[in-house]
Amino acid sequence: MSAYLNTRVSLYAGRLWQAENFRALLKASEAEIPQVLVDGGLVQLAGLVPGNDLHSLEQSIIARLLDETLVLLRPLTGSARAFLLYWTERFEVTNLKTLLRGKMTGERPATLLNRLTPMGAFGRLEVQDLAHAEDVAELLRRLESGHYAGIVRQARQAFEDSHDPFLLDAALDRSYYEGLAHRARQLEKETGPALRRLTGPLIDRINLVWLLRYRFNYKLPPAQVYYLLVAAHYGLSSASLKELAALGSLEDVLAALPEGMKQRLADAATIPDVFARMEHAAAREADKVLRSNAPAIARAFAYLILRERQLRGVRAILRGRNLGLPGAMIEETVGQLAQDVH
Amino acid sequence: MFRAQPMSRVTLYCLTSEAQDAALLLARHGLFGLAADKHESFPESPGDEYREIYLEAEARLAKIGELCGHLELPPIPPDVIAPNLRELKGINNRLRDLWQKCSACAEHGQKIEEDLRRLAVLRDTFERLKTLDVDVSRLLKADSLLDSRIGQVPKANVKRLKEALQLAGYMLTVFDQTGEQAFVVVAGPRSGGELGGVLSQAGWRELMIPLELQTHPEIASKYLERETARLQGAETQYCDLKVKSIGEQREWLGQARLLLALARPLAETALGGLRGKGQLVSVSGWVPRDEVPRLKLALADRFTSRYLITSRDPDPGERGQIPSFLKYPVWLRPFVPLVKSYGIPRYGEFDPSLLFALTYLLLFGAMFGDVGHGGVILILAALLYRKLGQVAWVGLAAGASSMGFGLLYGSIFGYEDLITPIWLSPLHDPIRILTVAILFGIGFIVFTLLANSWNKFTAGHAAEALFDSTGLAGLLFYLGAAAGLAGEAGLPAVAGLGTPAWSLALVGITTVAVFKWVETRASLGERALVTAIETLETGINLFANTLSFMRVAAFSLNHVALALAVFTIANGLGTTGHWLTLLLGNVVIIVLEGGIVAIQALRLMYYEGFSRFFSGDGTEFVPLKLVGVK
Repeated sequence: MSAYLNTRVSLYAGRLWQAENFRALLKASEAEIPQVLVDGGLVQLAGLVPGNDLHSLEQSIIARLLDETLVLLRPLTGSARAFLLYWTERFEVTNLKTLLRGKMTGERPATLLNRLTPMGAFGRLEVQDLAHAEDVAELLRRLESGHYAGIVRQARQAFEDSHDPFLLDAALDRSYYEGLAHRARQLEKETGPALRRLTGPLIDRINLVWLLRYRFNYKLPPAQVYYLLVAAHYGLSSASLKELAALGSLEDVLAALPEGMKQRLADAATIPDVFARMEHAAAREADKVLRSNAPAIARAFAYLILRERQLRGVRAILRGRNLGLPGAMIEETVGQLAQDVH
Repeated sequence: MFRAQPMSRVTLYCLTSEAQDAALLLARHGLFGLAADKHESFPESPGDEYREIYLEAEARLAKIGELCGHLELPPIPPDVIAPNLRELKGINNRLRDLWQKCSACAEHGQKIEEDLRRLAVLRDTFERLKTLDVDVSRLLKADSLLDSRIGQVPKANVKRLKEALQLAGYMLTVFDQTGEQAFVVVAGPRSGGELGGVLSQAGWRELMIPLELQTHPEIASKYLERETARLQGAETQYCDLKVKSIGEQREWLGQARLLLALARPLAETALGGLRGKGQLVSVSGWVPRDEVPRLKLALADRFTSRYLITSRDPDPGERGQIPSFLKYPVWLRPFVPLVKSYGIPRYGEFDPSLLFALTYLLLFGAMFGDVGHGGVILILAALLYRKLGQVAWVGLAAGASSMGFGLLYGSIFGYEDLITPIWLSPLHDPIRILTVAILFGIGFIVFTLLANSWNKFTAGHAAEALFDSTGLAGLLFYLGAAAGLAGEAGLPAVAGLGTPAWSLALVGITTVAVFKWVETRASLGERALVTAIETLETGINLFANTLSFMRVAAFSLNHVALALAVFTIANGLGTTGHWLTLLLGNVVIIVLEGGIVAIQALRLMYYEGFSRFFSGDGTEFVPLKLVGVK
């Protein structure tokens, strides 16, 4: 089965966009965009542009990712299958957050349902029932008896105490990524270091960016910031995170990072800059894993990381163009993507 | 019975204010199937809001129903009208208010339950607090320099919380554990670091230790008893309140159920293609042609001249969209699910249900011919009639067929010598049985080829009907080749017809080959390859399928052979063993062989029959109905 998965991943890897594809999309005229997308193997997206339906674009991108994940899941069993399935649940956690926010603002069920991303065979939420819940309290009660009970339970309590949507989101995200790190740890025992090369940068990036945001944008106290981070043992250990959370400025935090990470982020001035650099580094690592003879599940996961990054880059370009942003600004925003990771 | 009912495309125009009544009338008519229509002159979707409100109200009613039990739909009076949008909103708002009350009630009840549970835990905890060996009242004193709290958190969060609290200069001590919860004391300098919401994030629940508990244990104990009694009282009060408030509304809820059932047709129509412009709406759909006059009469009776209805025969381009409305006599209905599990006949396509029922019973009987075994199946099906419902009829008919063939074969529970066979015993003339099975197969395949030609003709594919391998050309080849081979085998009926038969086959296969050549759009080499392979496949498939029918004879022989094996074993045993073996042997034959034969007959029908002429990709006609909630 791993031979099948390896072949499948290799075939998929051939579809990943190179830097010149992004440049072509940036430079294409309005009328040429569909053809550029078709040439790049994104036929499904070609039908949506030119147009302003950005929600449909987002949905199409996720649908594409889910379709490809479904194909990659076929030969998988056990913890490898569970891991990839859990990876797709991110989209449904986003739906869950949309439902919660919609209920907070009293959105109508039909509008709310329209904003959700269709999960197809991966869907675990009873969205019809949930969208018709009267308020957040009822919604959370219903969620607690479903698939996401574990993720929701503590978020509910945090929300009841504070009624702060930000803290609700933070609690949901933390629970989700704790689950991902836990599953990755199980799988790393079976697959060796290759998967760790992918999950490590991912969790480290999430932890560092969250730490910076919570600490310096939302001004949360160090104790709370530390608690909201994902407990994992990659580049940033619990001890490091505890020290970093207690520091007073972005510069201090970056200066106190472990050596490799410090060099990579040496002159980063903003949190988005930190995010972009770490994401780029993670993509390079994923690309190396994809092109290595690593276990099939690690290669499949690397492909999904790169594919998602690529599709989000396409979305960023199309969104920028739809909003009429100057080409230079779009180029700057997606500049990291246009750089060849290979 | 052999094809779907002829349908008419109907479009109804009426006033927007009467749309709900028009939809209700269509639902009462019971034979109007919605069809999406791109009507450019009716660009609006006037039913969307109605549908949205309906769905909201329906969801609320269902949730209330969960609390107060199933709400029966009262009988629907014939003259009642559907609620309009304003009335529907009124129902929805009242349902919302009621649900909010119910929800608050449920929340209140949940809170009382939680308080009771926590009180019980508190009782235990209070006992354990003694292990802290500190004066609780001093520990919790608000004006001390120490900020200390006693509470519970999920065990899984203790480690992380402890580390986080250290950042704020606090310490955490676990003094008790119950289930997944840990009871902890958190303490730190009152002027120390900020905690923010970290305790909430960790699922912290403060243990509210009332002043009474911070005193003498006896007084504390009395306080706990008093609190428990108070909460139990509150619980009873809550239950009474819930029963009373729902009881008061029960009659109205029944009415709401009825009104929502009446609103459902328009809500469904909104999804299925209700279009509008200003004060007019249009809705399109399919109606059985014979039923159009009845619909027109009903509309005239209800709306006098405030409507317009048009009906026409379907366009050729619409054939793929027309739903199939299939009517069956009662005795045939039990077999229909077996056909539908393969597919729904396309509109205009030959419906194989009757063919299926007759052939399936014939094949089952021929493969499992035994008066005794058939009788057992028949009796079992009769006994299980209440439980199995319509499916029992299939069992009754299969049992009867098996008994009929049992008489033809002269077989009762495997005994071949108790009655004289009306026709022949398979084991005594296997060649004849095999020949008959193959002849039956030929007849069956000829029928499927004719049915396929008919289907292609009616679908407007005349060339395929005439020249394709599954059309009349294929039939010519098959008949010619079959007759030629039969002549070679010395079958007297076709003796001397060798040359004309093979000539017929040659004409047939050549026609098929030419057709394949013309139809294939590819390069010369590929075209030649496709033509050669597909023509060869035509010959191979048809004869392989024919030989497949030998299994009918094989299973009839197998039945006798299995019975002989049982007798051989039984005869080697004593009296008890003998009868026991016979009993068990027959049970095995009925269950195991009966099951296999049932599946084999189904396989022959699906694979050798349906795959040749039945597309099964039709859409079932689903009319608007008044009752039942989607």
